Amino acid sequence: MPTLIASRRLRTKLLLGFIYLFLLCAAAVVIFPYLWMTMTSFKPIDEFFTYPLKWFTKNWTLEQYAGVLKDPKFLASLRNSILVSTIVTGISLLLSIPAAYGLTRLRAPGGRPILVAILSSQFFPPMIFFVPFYIILSKFHLLNTITGLVFAYLSVTLPICTWMIATTFQNIPRELEEAAKVDGCGDIRTIFEVVLRMSLPGIITAGLFAFVLAWQEYIFALLYTTTTAAQTAPVILFFFLGQHQIDYGRLMAAAVILSLPIIVPFAAMQRYFRQGRGEGGIKG
Amino acid sequence: MVLGLAVLFPAIYNLGIAFFDYNFTSNTWNFAGLKSFVKLWESEYFWNSFKVTLLWVIGNVSLQLVLGLSIAMALNSIVHFRGIFTGILLIPWISSFVVVAILFIWIYHPQLGVLNDILLRLRLIERPIAWLASPRLAQISLILANTWKFFPLVMITLFAGLQDVSLELVEVSKVDGANRVQTFRMVILPTILPNISTGVLLSTIWAYNSFTLPIIMTGGGPLRATEIFGLFIFKQAFDAFDFGAAAAASLVLFLQILVVIALYLRVVERE
Repeated sequence: MPTLIASRRLRTKLLLGFIYLFLLCAAAVVIFPYLWMTMTSFKPIDEFFTYPLKWFTKNWTLEQYAGVLKDPKFLASLRNSILVSTIVTGISLLLSIPAAYGLTRLRAPGGRPILVAILSSQFFPPMIFFVPFYIILSKFHLLNTITGLVFAYLSVTLPICTWMIATTFQNIPRELEEAAKVDGCGDIRTIFEVVLRMSLPGIITAGLFAFVLAWQEYIFALLYTTTTAAQTAPVILFFFLGQHQIDYGRLMAAAVILSLPIIVPFAAMQRYFRQGRGEGGIKG
Repeated sequence: MVLGLAVLFPAIYNLGIAFFDYNFTSNTWNFAGLKSFVKLWESEYFWNSFKVTLLWVIGNVSLQLVLGLSIAMALNSIVHFRGIFTGILLIPWISSFVVVAILFIWIYHPQLGVLNDILLRLRLIERPIAWLASPRLAQISLILANTWKFFPLVMITLFAGLQDVSLELVEVSKVDGANRVQTFRMVILPTILPNISTGVLLSTIWAYNSFTLPIIMTGGGPLRATEIFGLFIFKQAFDAFDFGAAAAASLVLFLQILVVIALYLRVVERE
């Protein structure tokens, strides 16, 4: 008997070791592309073409970054990206907070169905918006403008933000609001001091989500902008790719720069994701 | 209200374009009935993309389910470093599509790509392979890249379900002499079944909706081997400027997705 138990324990230990190994491999596969991109971006250009490939360079260089940051097209697109993402985040929050409040608190008929409709709208194929938006934007002379892009993005971020904020509102007990009212708070003050303060983490998450969505959005930007006046950074990256002689060094450096602003929101949003809220998603 | 308008208006507008002959320059509408749909039905490219899309969805969903489930179960059975592993494994999901596309173009590159380099060093292949340029391999290479991007969604959905599995039941089944496979089938699987269906439905929807990765990485080629619906619609609209056909095709796509969404909502509401 003792040997049986011992062998069983050994087997469990082996299995656990195998599981850790498996996870380590999975994590490696996930990280590797990014690692490879970053390593490439610091390589001097002539080492790109050595064969077999040189994995680690001894001559670290910033020339790729310098090159891309001197490119006026890329700089303009970076500025556009920052502008669009910030405006979209601001407007999304400004509109979705009252919308979410109305849908969860006011006893309006049809609150729940509307919320479900909002949730499902984020699953609509982006393709059905291609043509209508194009026609609408051109009617209002908004093609090639930042305003036009902002409108297009709001159609994606508004439903998601409303859904996310509505979920946090639902978790705030109504009694708290009533207690605040009994203590002499007005409606507006109750909303600001109780509801908004308590749901601040959820609101921030929604805002970051909107920012990330707008930051990496690419389809609408590609379709509705053709000049540097409104082209965003992802479009310029695509443009780099379409050139006859693709400058991979610059492309990698630009991709690293584009990925950086996502790291911070991601760290903050991780907790939200880990709860397994599968509803949210990145449109693309 | 504003919200509803922002989403619904383009959708209805789309409906209009599908059934009417819309002239962009003169802004006139002529009722065309089912003309656009008939055109689609007769187009071999439409059926090609129908087939490609089906393969794309099946390939993506099954791969993501297998990967997501095994990794979620692995995460669920460890005690140390769980947070770090989860964090790292979620990275692809939050990654920008354009950056993911660039990452994989660079990895798949026939001469300068690291994938061929590794395989050559291991002597698994003799000559570099053109991953994205060969009609046979392009679809698979794309599916792998897309799975890399999307498996975390399935993983995290299933992980949430695994945490609801009752440990007592697992213990009881062990005492009763069930082996690991039996425990999984009798205890774990029934508990996470709703999560599995959520995960499958979500990844189906995202697979149907995908657009960015294929258009950057292959543009639908080679020889339309990777031309999924999204690309077909895009090409109809902005290469051929046939807005009617594009709108009709996107309606066909939309109807398919609507079925999946309806199923998804039923699962969500039941929870």
